[in-house]
Amino acid sequence: MPDPFDALALPSTPVDPDPAFADQLRDDLRRLILNGADMTTTVPQQAKVAALTPYLVVTDARAALDFYVEVFDAQRRSEPIMMDDGRVGHAELAIGDSVLMFAEEFPELGNVVAAQGGALIRVEVADPHASMRRAVELGAEQQRPVEDRGHGLAGVFRDPYGQRWLLSRAAPPAPAERVYQHGEAGYFTFQVPDDARAKAFYGAVLGWQFAAGSLPTAWRIEGDGLPGGLWGGPELQTGWKLMFAVDDLEAALGRVGAQGGRAGEVETHPYGRTADCADDQGIEFWLWEQPRA
Amino acid sequence: MRPDPAFALLGLYEKALPEVYGYLLARCGDRVLAEELTSETFLGAVAACRKEHAPPVSTAWLIGVARHKLADHWRRTEREQRGLRLVHDAGDDVEDPWDDQLDALRARQVLGSLSVPHQAVLTLRYVDGLPVRDVAAHLGRTIHATEALLTRAKTAFRRGYQEKEGSDA
Repeated sequence: MPDPFDALALPSTPVDPDPAFADQLRDDLRRLILNGADMTTTVPQQAKVAALTPYLVVTDARAALDFYVEVFDAQRRSEPIMMDDGRVGHAELAIGDSVLMFAEEFPELGNVVAAQGGALIRVEVADPHASMRRAVELGAEQQRPVEDRGHGLAGVFRDPYGQRWLLSRAAPPAPAERVYQHGEAGYFTFQVPDDARAKAFYGAVLGWQFAAGSLPTAWRIEGDGLPGGLWGGPELQTGWKLMFAVDDLEAALGRVGAQGGRAGEVETHPYGRTADCADDQGIEFWLWEQPRA
Repeated sequence: MRPDPAFALLGLYEKALPEVYGYLLARCGDRVLAEELTSETFLGAVAACRKEHAPPVSTAWLIGVARHKLADHWRRTEREQRGLRLVHDAGDDVEDPWDDQLDALRARQVLGSLSVPHQAVLTLRYVDGLPVRDVAAHLGRTIHATEALLTRAKTAFRRGYQEKEGSDA
C-alpha cells in the first residue's frame, strides 16, 4: 500500500546562494584548510584515555552532550549508546587532550546524580568568563564567579544535569626551558655546502621537515630531527657543529685559548651568550652560557 | 604522507555549494538559517574529511553532513523551546485509511507549522526518505522512541492538513 506521506518526498534541487555569501564562505573554507594543513607548526591535540578519566552520571545525557560541546568546546567522539529503554548507557566527548565519559542514571547500579555537592572536576578552557556566561545561559547554576585568586582565572558552576565544574585557565606557566649541564651539547647545526640538496636528501631518507630560519640558507629542523638547524654555504666548515653548554663563558674561553684553540667573540642572544670557537685541530664549535634564572 | 583530503573540498566547492544550499533551503525554508547551516556544513566537513577512515569527499557525502547539521539544529531548537512549550500530544491516534493524494503545497505549509520534533522526524523520514533506523540515529533517539514520535507527528500532520483543508475551502 503506498504511503500517502511519500508525497512529501523532495528531490534535492540546487539553488545558487547569494554570491556575497558564497565568496565569504569560500574564503573561510580556504583559510581553515590552509591554516589547519600547516602540520609543522600546529599539531592538533589528540584526546586519549589517560591515567584519570571522569565517568559522570547525568540526568539527560543527550542534552549534557550538547551542553559540554557548547560550554567546553568539547568534540564528539562517538555516537551515544542507547539502551532498550531509551536511556543513554554510554556517551563520550573529547575535551582538549582528555576524554570525558558519562551515562544517564541507573539507580539499580547505584549510579545516581548527587542531590547536592559531589565531586568537582576542573576543566581548562580558553576563556572561563565566556564559558561561565554560556553555561548560565544554558541553565547552569553559578556557585562561584570567575575570578583570579592568584592561581589564574577560576569559577565554579553546577550544570543542569547534576555535575559540578571548576572552570579554569591556569596562569601561563613559566616557559619550561630545559637546563643543560656544563659540557652537554644543547644545539646541533648541520653545515653543508648546499642546503637545498641536504634538505632533499635528509627529507627523503629520514623524513625531516624544515622551517625557514633567520637566513635564506638557514633552516630549523622540525619534528623528530635533532634540536638544531641546517645551514648551507660553500664557505662553511662541513659537518655537524655543536653548541656546548658551559657554566661560565669567560672562564671557558680562557681555557680554549690556553689549550691552543681559537676563542671567538662573545655574542648575546635571547637564549643566552655564545661564542664561536675552534679547537686546536681547527674543528669548530660554539660555547653557550644559558641565561641565569 | 597522504595528501590532505580537505583540498578536495576546495575543488568541489563551486559544484557542491548550490546542492548543499538548495537541500538546506528546501528543508528549513529560511535563507539566513540555510546560509548558517551551509557554512557549518562546509567548515565542519574540513575536520570530518581529515579523520581516519573518512569516506572520500563528494557532493552526496556533503549532503549527509548537511543533514546532520540540520538535525543538530532541530535538537538545539527543541531543547530551547522545551521549557516554554506545554506539550500536549493528544492520544487520539486516528488510524483511518487516509488515501487522499496530498496536495504538495499545502503539505509543505502544514509541515512548516508543526512543532520542531514533528517537523524533524517527518522531514527525515518522508522528505529525505530515510529508513526509521537512520532517522533515529540522526535524532539521537531509539528506534522505538522514533517510531512513537513518527506516529504522533503523522497524527499532528493529518490534523493540521485537514484543518487547513477546511479553512482553504
